[in-house]
Amino acid sequence: MSTQIKERDTETESESSEESEHQTRRLSEKRERADMKERADNDLSEHDETVRLKVFRYDPEVEGKKDPRFDTFEVPFTKGMTVLDALIYARDHFDSSLTFRHSCRQAVCGSDALFVNGRQRLGCKTQMVDLEWPVRIEPLPHADVVKDLIVDMEHFYDQMESVEPYFQTNELPSGEEQRQSRENREKVKMSTRCIWCSACMSSCNVAAGDNEYLGPAAINKAYRFAMDEREGEDMKAHRLNIIEQEHGVWRCQTQFSCTEVCPKDIPLTEHIQELKREAVKSNLKFW
Amino acid sequence: MADHYSSFEPKGTRWLLQRITAGFLVVVLAFHFMLLHFVNHAGDITFLGTQARMSQVGYFLTMVSFLIAGAFHGVNGVYNALVNQGLDGTQKTVVKWLLVAAGALLIAQGIRVATAMTGLF
Amino acid sequence: MSQSYDRGLIEDFGRWKEFSAGMWAWIFHKFTGWVLIGYLFTHVAVLSSATVSGEVYTQTLQSLESLLVVRVLEVGLLAVAAFHILNGIRLLFVDLGIGLEAQDKAFYAAMVATGVITIASIPTFLGGI
Repeated sequence: MSTQIKERDTETESESSEESEHQTRRLSEKRERADMKERADNDLSEHDETVRLKVFRYDPEVEGKKDPRFDTFEVPFTKGMTVLDALIYARDHFDSSLTFRHSCRQAVCGSDALFVNGRQRLGCKTQMVDLEWPVRIEPLPHADVVKDLIVDMEHFYDQMESVEPYFQTNELPSGEEQRQSRENREKVKMSTRCIWCSACMSSCNVAAGDNEYLGPAAINKAYRFAMDEREGEDMKAHRLNIIEQEHGVWRCQTQFSCTEVCPKDIPLTEHIQELKREAVKSNLKFW
Repeated sequence: MADHYSSFEPKGTRWLLQRITAGFLVVVLAFHFMLLHFVNHAGDITFLGTQARMSQVGYFLTMVSFLIAGAFHGVNGVYNALVNQGLDGTQKTVVKWLLVAAGALLIAQGIRVATAMTGLF
Repeated sequence: MSQSYDRGLIEDFGRWKEFSAGMWAWIFHKFTGWVLIGYLFTHVAVLSSATVSGEVYTQTLQSLESLLVVRVLEVGLLAVAAFHILNGIRLLFVDLGIGLEAQDKAFYAAMVATGVITIASIPTFLGGI
C-alpha cells in the first residue's frame, strides 16, 4: 500500500555476529509492523466503509524518496473522522515514516494546516464526510516542503515578527489596569483569533509572487494592535508606518482567498482594507 | 526583518490616486463608448464631427482629463502588477522610469492630437 | 532549506479549477487592464493622423471602420471595457468596506452584465459594414 523501502536482509548476513543487537531490534520492528498490519486488516474487515487518501510524499534524506510522489492509503472510516484522524491512522498502521505536524487536535495550535482537495484547511477541523473522496492531501502551497506534509514556516514567522505582534504602549495609566472598553474589544475580537497556521499566507497569490509582502496573517496581527485603543496614538502611528510600506497593505489585491480559507473565520480582507483606509486617512492629516 | 521595513515610504498616495482616477474613468469611459458608438456610429466619424465636439471647451477638457486619468491608471496598474509578481531591485527602478516615460509620452502626444482636433492651431 | 522541494507553477495556474470568485475577478481584471492600456496607446497612435490633416484623419478612420476585423475587435474591446468598469465598481465598494460578504455575487453579476451588454451591442457595432 505504501511505498516504504523494503528492508534489505542480505546486506546484514555477512557481518551478522557483531550486528546481533541490530538484528534483534530490526526483528522486533518487523514484528511490530506485522502487528500493525494485522490490526489494520482487522479494522478494514470490520468497517464497511473505507476512505482512500492520496498523500503527498517526499523525503530528501532517503534515496528513493527524493522524487515527490503520491501514496495511497485505505483507511477505515469512523463517524466523526477528521483528515488528521485519517492521517494518524495511516501513520500508525501503514507507514510510520509518514510525517506531518499536529498537536492539540482542536484547531487551537495551528500546526496542521494542509492542502486538502485543493484548498487550505486545518486537518483537525475538516470532517471526512464534508470532502469528496478520495481525499488528496498535500503540504501547503507556496512554501518549501521539508518532508512529506511539512513545510518550512520560517518565512511566515519572520513576516509575523516584523509587525511586532505584541502589546506595547507609552501611555501607561497611573496605578490602574489597562482596561479595554467593550466596544474596542468587539472591534479587535475576530483579529485576535489567529492561530498562526499560515493557511491564509499559503492561499495568497500575491504573497506567492512577492516574497516581501507581509501577507494576510501579519497584517491582521498589525490590525489587532493598531486598533487596540490602549496602545495610544504614538503607537498607532508607528504601527501604520510598518504596514504602509510598499510590501505592506498596498500589495493586497482583494482576491479574498485568505478570508475564504481562514479556519478561524477571521475577515482578513476586511481588516486589510480598513488598514489601507486608516493609512490614507493618517497621511491626509499631514497635508 | 524589522530593519528591512525601517525606510519610511508611504505608498498610499498612489493607491488613493488609482481609486480616484478609477471613479472618474468609470463615468467617462462609459460616456465615451456611448457617444462614439451608439450616439455617433464609429463608422460615420469624420474630422468635421470630431472638430465640432473637440471645439467645445467642456468636452475638450473632459477628454484631456480622460487621457491623463487613463494614462495614470493604466501605467500605474501595470507597475503594480509587476511589483505583485515580485519585480525588485534595479529592474524595478528601470521599469518604473520606462513606464513614467511611456506615460508622459502618451499624455504629451494625446494632448497634441487633441489640440489638432480642435482645428484652431 | 537547500533540500526542500519547490513545487513550482503547479501550485498556481495548474490549479485554475480550484480558483474561487475573487481569484477569477482578479485575473480578469488584470487581463482586461492590460488590454485597455494597450488599446489606449494604439488609440492615440491612430488618432494622431489628425495632426497631419483632417482628410487623412477621416480617411484613416473610415477605412479602418470598413474592416470587419476591426468591428469584431471593437466588440471585444467593449466587452473588456464593460467588465473592467463593472468589476472596478465592485472593487471600489470593496475598498470602501461595503458589502464584502457579497463580493462573489457581485463578480457573477458583473460577468452576466458584461455578457448582456456585449450581446446587445453587436448589431450596433457590426451595422453598416
